[in-house]
Amino acid sequence: MYVSVYTVTNTKNCTDKNVRNGVRTVDIWPLILLNGLTLGAVYFVASSGLTLIFGLMRVITLAHGTSFLFGGYLGYVVAVATENWILGLLAGLLAAGLLGLFTHQVLIRRFQDDDMRVALITLGVAVIGTDLMLAVFGGTATQVPFPQNLQIAVDLPGIGDYPLIRLIILAIAIVLGLAIYFIIAKTRFGSIVRAGVDDAPMTSATGVNVRVVFAVIFAVGSALAGLAGVISGTLFPLLPGQDGSYLLFSLVVVIVGGMGSIPGAAIGSALVGIVSQFALVLAPTYAFVLTFALMVIVLAVRPQGIMGRPA
Amino acid sequence: MSTFSSSTPRTANWRGWVTAQNVVVAVVLLAAIIFPLVVDRPRFWLPNIGVRTLWMGTIAMSLVFLNKYVGLLSLAQMTFAGICSYGIGYFSVTMGLPIIPSIILSLGVGSFAGWLTALIAVRTKAIYFMMITLALSQVFYSWASQAIEVTNARRGIAPIPRPDFGFINLNDITTFYYFALFLAVLSYAIFRYTAKSQFGLAIQGIKDSPERMSALGYNVNRYRTAALTLAAFVASIGGVILVFDRNQVDPSFVSLDATLNILVVAVVGGIGSLGGVFIGGLVFSLLQNFAQDFTDRYMTLTGLVFIGVLLFFPTGLVGLGPIIRRLFSKRAKTSTSAESSETLDAARRAGTHNKKGQHK
Repeated sequence: MYVSVYTVTNTKNCTDKNVRNGVRTVDIWPLILLNGLTLGAVYFVASSGLTLIFGLMRVITLAHGTSFLFGGYLGYVVAVATENWILGLLAGLLAAGLLGLFTHQVLIRRFQDDDMRVALITLGVAVIGTDLMLAVFGGTATQVPFPQNLQIAVDLPGIGDYPLIRLIILAIAIVLGLAIYFIIAKTRFGSIVRAGVDDAPMTSATGVNVRVVFAVIFAVGSALAGLAGVISGTLFPLLPGQDGSYLLFSLVVVIVGGMGSIPGAAIGSALVGIVSQFALVLAPTYAFVLTFALMVIVLAVRPQGIMGRPA
Repeated sequence: MSTFSSSTPRTANWRGWVTAQNVVVAVVLLAAIIFPLVVDRPRFWLPNIGVRTLWMGTIAMSLVFLNKYVGLLSLAQMTFAGICSYGIGYFSVTMGLPIIPSIILSLGVGSFAGWLTALIAVRTKAIYFMMITLALSQVFYSWASQAIEVTNARRGIAPIPRPDFGFINLNDITTFYYFALFLAVLSYAIFRYTAKSQFGLAIQGIKDSPERMSALGYNVNRYRTAALTLAAFVASIGGVILVFDRNQVDPSFVSLDATLNILVVAVVGGIGSLGGVFIGGLVFSLLQNFAQDFTDRYMTLTGLVFIGVLLFFPTGLVGLGPIIRRLFSKRAKTSTSAESSETLDAARRAGTHNKKGQHK
């Protein structure tokens, strides 16, 4: 069910000859590292939304995986209909954002101070979402189509041919991460958001509508998950059950990186991506377990996560 | 809870037991005992509703115990039950041990898993604890669905026949139902007793103010670890019922769905009430069995019920009890005796306590 770690051999855009004769026999470690980083890029886009919502609102949404898969499916539908990958990305972003906005406004706005109740209500949303998406999109794997001219390999020094799309996605994740960090740290909206986190009543008293800020953040966080869904659906097939596995990977990433920290999410997702890819080569059967072992080790040493502030 | 007994004179000690809570427990227990005698098709009702309610309730009860008395919401309880089920399968079928030592060993293994989880998770609080237990449960799920030499991967271990102890033969479904009922009541008794014991008072103190208890010289983490291990032990008892109910064990026992089902049972029954989980289990089993008759999307229905309960009855279905009682006592205000108003107060106190628990 949790087929979340796709293998080194999934780089189907490499020509067979290269995989067999060149890369594999010579030196596969740089390739695995790069695979880990690009997988980490997908994890980062998904978990940055989760860590944003937690950092600013102190609530955890367990419907995050639902936003991910919903965005992915919607992106697939739009990308197939319009034959435009970018429109697909936007559709996934928008659809998941609206789902997040709906969840926030209708279900959890009133209980925002009660983190446990929010977690449970969003869990209910996740249960319903899983069931309905299975009903609508079925159990078969689908993959988001992307332009023919991007389906090429580039020659990287020390690695050989590498699919361009993976590098594009890595770049998207890096740009997105920098943008979020910049917005939170430098802009006026960012300072309002940070003020709302530290003292919501006081911020509200200075004339800021904190409720709107929280609603926007929740929607943006969900939208990021939806975007991650389309991105992931471009690299790997979309399957039912991925909502659960990506929720778990996002949770692991934010636990490892430290809740509420965007740099932490970046470090955490890179670590999780790299560890899972190396584990896949070294101990294929226990790749998933080893990924979680990373979390256990981090927790044992630093319970608040690598970049987290002590609770 | 039973502050009532302290306020009654010593001479009438037995009256201390006649609290509203104990009356409800007795009525429910009586209903559970006569259940096999009154249903029209025992071969359907006993396994599909009765036994299922009992194991779901027992496992969910361990979750509720941790939430109510320790203030930790653990999503690994189903996993402890599943580990015990796997233990029974491994010891009795794969290794060929006799059934009674297998059960005892497996209870130990399940509790040990709880202890290990506590070592990792006990330093974290609230939402972190929940996520870590969720993640650990998924680690076990992925291990169970891949470790072919121990768990036989996705196929699982089957068949695990119901044992015949000589004096009781669990192959008879009615006997098996009463066996499960006995274990469920035993688990309930363990928790009620623990909550009143010195240990129980200490963990409740830790729940309310860990800093103060720590200043008083209590080793907070050690108490939490012990409570988690106890809860894992009771969850393992649920696992014993579960494995003999299904006659096999496979990774679906510890999947995310199964974990969530237990949480749904606990929340629907009432996250602040030990006995209420059996009502939640009953509602869930009925939904699972009968909702399929009119819709394929019974998980959607379950999710809607779950959200509805969270939005409108945060104390779960048992929370309806005090509300109904209050309505009745308003109507019969002139004839209320001192005793009934006292139980009402107790119920109200319990209600506020639960609300407090919810905010944690």
